Amino acid sequence: MNDVVRSAKPLGSPTQDPATGRKAERSRIPLVALAGLVVLCALVTVSVANGEIPLPPVEAVKGLFGAGEPGTVLVVQEFRAPRMVAAIVAGAGLAVGGALLQRLFRNPLASPDVMGVTGGASFGAVAMLAAGASQVMMPLAALGGGLLAAVLLGVFGWRSGTSVTRLVLVGLAVQAGLSAAVSFMVVSFPTELAGSALQWTTGSVYGRTWTEVWSAGGAVVVGLVLAFVLHRRLAVLDLGDDSAGTLGLNTHTARLQILVIAIVLASLAAALTGPVAFVALAVPHMVRFLAGPPTAGTLALSALAGAVLLLASDLVAQYLLPVSGLPVGVVTATLGAPWLLVLMIRQSSSVNRSVR
Amino acid sequence: MTANQLSTHGLDLRYGDRLIVGGLDLVLPGGAVTAVVGPNACGKSTLLRGLTRLLAPAAGTVALDGADIHRMPARALALRMGLLPQQPVTPDAITVEALVRLGRYPHQRLLSPWSAADQQAVEEALRRTGTEELRHQPVDQLSGGQRQRAWIALALAQDTDLLLLDEPTTFLDLRHQLDVLDLVAALHSEAGRTVVMVLHDLGQAARYADHLVVLKDGQLAAAGAPADVLDAELVKSVFDVDCRVIPDPETGTPLVVPKGRAKRHTAVSA
Repeated sequence: MNDVVRSAKPLGSPTQDPATGRKAERSRIPLVALAGLVVLCALVTVSVANGEIPLPPVEAVKGLFGAGEPGTVLVVQEFRAPRMVAAIVAGAGLAVGGALLQRLFRNPLASPDVMGVTGGASFGAVAMLAAGASQVMMPLAALGGGLLAAVLLGVFGWRSGTSVTRLVLVGLAVQAGLSAAVSFMVVSFPTELAGSALQWTTGSVYGRTWTEVWSAGGAVVVGLVLAFVLHRRLAVLDLGDDSAGTLGLNTHTARLQILVIAIVLASLAAALTGPVAFVALAVPHMVRFLAGPPTAGTLALSALAGAVLLLASDLVAQYLLPVSGLPVGVVTATLGAPWLLVLMIRQSSSVNRSVR
Repeated sequence: MTANQLSTHGLDLRYGDRLIVGGLDLVLPGGAVTAVVGPNACGKSTLLRGLTRLLAPAAGTVALDGADIHRMPARALALRMGLLPQQPVTPDAITVEALVRLGRYPHQRLLSPWSAADQQAVEEALRRTGTEELRHQPVDQLSGGQRQRAWIALALAQDTDLLLLDEPTTFLDLRHQLDVLDLVAALHSEAGRTVVMVLHDLGQAARYADHLVVLKDGQLAAAGAPADVLDAELVKSVFDVDCRVIPDPETGTPLVVPKGRAKRHTAVSA
């Protein structure tokens, strides 16, 4: 009963015409989506055209679709495209996972990278790597790790009436603990494995193969579809348990379904990229800022924006930074740290809402 | 003949170890407006949660037209019974129309698109509650009375024969209290809805309800037509307030007038 929003606000300011305000907001979603798609296409072109052998953009895009010189097709399709697709799919998965968790917990800090899910996914993947499992097992291992983190969070952080702030703090501890375990395992690895294990400490899309992209990426796409199918339930859950219950929604089941989808999305995205920070945390806020309050449309925008952000960050890491070979996770973490600070400060100054 | 009749048999409702409502046998007549009254913490809101299945009974049953509501599928119950909670949670920046559309949830299948019937129910709900002009406004920027009407519109879009309202007039000024109660009365008289509402004001309950349920300490203190049950003795025993009950000069329904207690008041009334 604490999550009351019956705030005694006065009438909307008379200077603002609410009808036109709404219209402007409504028309922003297609506009932002169009802009996002244009940027994404541009980034895809840059991504396939650049590399050890720079290609003319038109040739590279042709090669992406299997047309043009066989050599170009090989380079683009086998070496450049997997990395690009991995960044797009993982970015979308992380962003939608974050958007779902933030709505479910009604807290802007509730995101899979803050609450330990991506750390858990890395932990699972590295543990499997240490056990000598093949690459094909990685998505399953990451998924198991992500669920493990969620269980840890539940055991240590969940009591009925617990404030979400406490949950977030426990999540930070889970994330830190699991990252430490990952680092420990990576340094104790034999040298030939250490290179491939490095992506699990900061997150990277270097050297992705089609096998990985198809297995984890395909599952992420399925998760994204499920998220949209269940969006109506999420909207009803927003009304609080009493109203949702009397509308015929089984709130416990619905919450669990959406929670599991969010964890699956974030874990499988992490199976592709490692624990890339910031995307899941920040994208829902950016979309909210650009396109207004959450709807099914803004959820789709979150997927698009996540893909753009991760692909752009990877290109920055590859070509714009003076140090070569930096993983994309470094770029997103550099952006993410100040963002997290700002959120923390804003969060502590506003009224804390709790969740039952 | 007894359509939309809620009844309880030996109903116990608990929060943890605490017994809130004990051994309640109650019949809420279908096709009528019932008001549930009683002192603070007497179990009014808890009873409403029990009647809507938000709280499972510790013992006893709740039946709708004879069928145990706890054995009905959630969606089937949601097609027959809607609830306006006491303090509903307004989603972030949601508009009135988007809020009201959520009332159609029990009518929709997982992948079914928004239908003409859905839109018609939403339009009807907006029209009845006078919130058509507010449809594009964010609910959290409305005044208390407007917001309450938007929430009632959601319950109307659900299109149920039975409507339960938990203190719909709390936090509203007098005029908006009367607006909401008139709306409820119209829903009953024009749209034939069965209404059960928790109210604080005994005079308003007597004016607007056909049937009065008076609770004290989770027990039934009295039930019946307001003119039959509401008297000075009942108010004394339930609320511990000395009063006179006189006919409302406007409507003739019982009106509770507390006896003066402070000195300046006794001087006048004597």
